[in-house]
Amino acid sequence: MTRSRHIWAFLFLLLPVTFYLVVVIYPLFSSFYFSFTDWNGFSQDYSFVGLDNYKKMQTDRLFRNAIENTVIWTVAAIVLPTAGGLVLALALHERGILSRLFKSLFYLPICLSLVVVGQVWIWIYQPDFGLINVVLRGVGLDNWTRAWLAKPDTALQAVIAAWTWQQTGLAMVIFLAGLTAVPRELTEASQIDGANYWQSVRHVIVPLLRPASIVVIALAVINSLKSFDILYMMTRGGPFHSSDNLAMMVYNESFQKYRMGYGSTVAVVLFMITLVVITIYFRQQRGLEQLYD
Amino acid sequence: MTNLASAATTEAQADRAKEQAKARRSMVILYVVLTLLLLIYSLPTIGVLLTSLKTNAEISREGVWNLPDSLSLDNYRAALQDGNAGPYLINSLKVTIPACVLSIVFGVLSGYTLAKLPFRGSDILFIFLVAGLFFPPQIVMIPLFRMFNSAGLYDTLWPMIIVHAGFGIPICTLVLKNFFATIPTAIREAAIIDGANEIQVLLRVMLPLSLPSLAVLATLQFTWIWNDFLWPVIFTRSDEVRTIMFGLASLRGQYSVAYGTQAAMAILASIPTLLIFIFFQKYFIRGLTLGSVKG
Repeated sequence: MTRSRHIWAFLFLLLPVTFYLVVVIYPLFSSFYFSFTDWNGFSQDYSFVGLDNYKKMQTDRLFRNAIENTVIWTVAAIVLPTAGGLVLALALHERGILSRLFKSLFYLPICLSLVVVGQVWIWIYQPDFGLINVVLRGVGLDNWTRAWLAKPDTALQAVIAAWTWQQTGLAMVIFLAGLTAVPRELTEASQIDGANYWQSVRHVIVPLLRPASIVVIALAVINSLKSFDILYMMTRGGPFHSSDNLAMMVYNESFQKYRMGYGSTVAVVLFMITLVVITIYFRQQRGLEQLYD
Repeated sequence: MTNLASAATTEAQADRAKEQAKARRSMVILYVVLTLLLLIYSLPTIGVLLTSLKTNAEISREGVWNLPDSLSLDNYRAALQDGNAGPYLINSLKVTIPACVLSIVFGVLSGYTLAKLPFRGSDILFIFLVAGLFFPPQIVMIPLFRMFNSAGLYDTLWPMIIVHAGFGIPICTLVLKNFFATIPTAIREAAIIDGANEIQVLLRVMLPLSLPSLAVLATLQFTWIWNDFLWPVIFTRSDEVRTIMFGLASLRGQYSVAYGTQAAMAILASIPTLLIFIFFQKYFIRGLTLGSVKG
């Protein structure tokens, strides 16, 4: 009985595990391997260069820049969609029939591709007819207008703002799901005890939303680390690499400059950062489980 | 005495009425604020929709952000004819549907096995299979490019189908393992005693029960794969294998292409996921909110 069960288990797992190994795990190790080479992407030959790529990275201005931008993006991802999503969720939780329509419209951007999101936001930032500059001119702030995506000091922030617009809906949906798990008796009890709405939000609801917050933040951080589509659409990392993040740098080094060895090295760093995030996430999750037991 | 008591009740009633009025007023204020906020929040979406319906003459005269004087479908015609949207949409379907089906089939197999046919080390295998959920695709992009290039599959739709199916395994395994774990093992044992083998149990007993979970995964996977842009950029070059998102992005490079056409193409590209959003919202949300509620 057990034996036949094991045979079935093996048969069922054979395809998915093989596929996963070939598409995800093998390439992951392969990236490590190529990070020690000077492969250019098309020739058959390449040679081992030891730690050269890693040494080069330490003095590479573009790498430093990509790391800084990735950190900026990650911090923005932790703060902005989380705050916006929480406020929207609190405003829309248990607010009558109308709130269903509002919820749907607020999270509609999630189902749009980042390519479409990027496209629309290009028109918002466009210097001549773009929405922002038109509004600024309309209220007489002409000297505030600028070519938002073409200036190194605003390009990254502009892309992050567009990205946040989409991510906020996602955070809202997750917080709303978290709010349904907050027993109404608890908030009512706190209000009978004399707490006003804000006090019960702060001391009762927000602490109970901890599991939802962990998911929101983890998702936002992971999504920020992979963000490439919207950046490619809006600035391609420019102008002058001012909006490059690590994901964009892997692409640039590998598929624009044909330095796949060095590109792999950057990919390895990206993986290491992801590992740190995963570790923190699972620690938090485990902390929660202990809390609830 | 009775007078006093009735006076107290009327007072209490008045208080309650006052409180209700106050609650109603704050609700009205909340919705006024929310409506304004929603209007601003929706401007990008409304903008692209209206632009797609304007004539190009009007766009070049007044830009993108004005209300249209008249509505026309010319841009959609242009997107389909000059923009080549038709074949791009078909390519996207050719990638999305097989990749979606494959990843869910893999998820059913691994999820069921890990939940109902456990063995030594199956917990570790589960973590191993789910870990991929967190990997940025950029960390495997270069070796995959090399792999498909040497297999002669560069510039075909195959790499995208295969990679999406593989990258879908973590989420599908996670959702379905958790689902199958909630089904009583007694059901499986009863079927086995009745003479069914494992594959019959899976197909005839377990699969029908898991339809809601499959719907959750189908909506999620379809949306993600349809909206993807990275893999087409890495694996394709020719126009014949271009997906709709890549097609839309490449329109941007051609300055001769009017904004109206771009807008129409963006709407066409979004229709499938918008339909999912409208008709399967419940499943889509359930997928997005996985793991955010304890227990």
